[in-house]
Amino acid sequence: MSKAAELAKIGEVATNSQIGGRRNIVYNGAMQVAQRATSATGLGANATTNTYPTVDRWNTFHGGTTAGRFTMTQTADGPSGFANCMKLDCTTADASIAAGEEFLISQKLEGQDLQAICKGTSDAKQLVVSWYAKGTPKTYGIEMYDNDNTRHFTNTWTVTSSWQRFTQVIPADTTGAFDDDNALSLYILFWLHAGSNFTSGSSASSWASVTAANRAVGVGSFFSSTDNELFITGIQMEVGSVATPFEHRSFGEEEELCKRYFVKHKANSPYDRFGTGGAVTTDDAQFVFKFYPSLRTAPTLTTGTLSHLGGTNRANGAVAIGTALSIDTNSDGPLSCVVEANDYSGDPLTAGEVTHLIANNNVAAFVAFDAEL
Amino acid sequence: MNIKSTKYVTSSITNENGSILVTFNDDTYASVPLVVGNRHYDAILEWEKIDGNTIEDAD
Repeated sequence: MSKAAELAKIGEVATNSQIGGRRNIVYNGAMQVAQRATSATGLGANATTNTYPTVDRWNTFHGGTTAGRFTMTQTADGPSGFANCMKLDCTTADASIAAGEEFLISQKLEGQDLQAICKGTSDAKQLVVSWYAKGTPKTYGIEMYDNDNTRHFTNTWTVTSSWQRFTQVIPADTTGAFDDDNALSLYILFWLHAGSNFTSGSSASSWASVTAANRAVGVGSFFSSTDNELFITGIQMEVGSVATPFEHRSFGEEEELCKRYFVKHKANSPYDRFGTGGAVTTDDAQFVFKFYPSLRTAPTLTTGTLSHLGGTNRANGAVAIGTALSIDTNSDGPLSCVVEANDYSGDPLTAGEVTHLIANNNVAAFVAFDAEL
Repeated sequence: MNIKSTKYVTSSITNENGSILVTFNDDTYASVPLVVGNRHYDAILEWEKIDGNTIEDAD
């Protein structure tokens, strides 16, 4: 690049206010946080589609009953400056791609976090998405999908066996504003496998109403061989036309941001205490959980294997809980919720007695609250 | 959302439906609030529109 061109780029960056902190709109772009798990195997079946298997905020979607299966891990690898990446490893190939098959990884963003883009107005801004990737050489797709207005932009990118940074400028879109609320407005989608329903058209190289056939034109198949791997990290989306260096955040900052969408209390010892509550009857107890930071919305409660959990009482110490824990819409919200345990084994409680929700001699126990998009 | 079955759970505070116990196809389960905007509740509402799918009454 000539000196003049370099200076012009610097001026452009300054004009776009891209200098300074908090540029990256993407969560967990460096794949630092993995509250759910650091590894998930056997993914690809319909039973595990549209889920968040490992690194926080990164969703996997596979539709159309693909035969392909993969393992997803948070892996200690990355280009200079990155300790972690998301690794996808094909474990079962899919040699025959049906028309409706699709496999994508994505991040979903709230409309209220996207207002600076001014989408749908005469002041609409360009965006730049950048990411680092390496893997089995293959062409994949990127799609920006406006969920509020059913509009999209698509392109392809070709990964090689060496880490390299990819950048994609997203043109400004003066049509279709993002809602200013906590609901899903924008997907950042990486297409890794697609049937002809999504590949038979022509790429949407400028924002346009969504046409399914235009969504993944030119995309190769991650499931073409069990040799296929993809490593990706350093994902950034910022307002402007030039990709600036990746904005590194501390682990603590990133974890706090992710906890708006998911928080998991994991056992650190065999009888770890998750919460303190009170007995309502001889076998029912309620526990109040407070959320800091507040969640995006009232959460779903998951606890994994029920037998990993227990409750305490004065007479018997830890006792099993026989029925799945539940939350209560009447007392739920983004800041707190009540968890009810309705079946203490042996009815050992006395109403009003203090009781703890604990790991029942099992370090695999957890209580998780999910407010993801 | 890979739903296998759903069942209302009664709130001990109001004695009305307080949440839905959903079992997914991989046999994991979750307790879902009756709140639009919660992705699981939204998915259950879509699931319920399909013929034959109903949310079981609470015990």
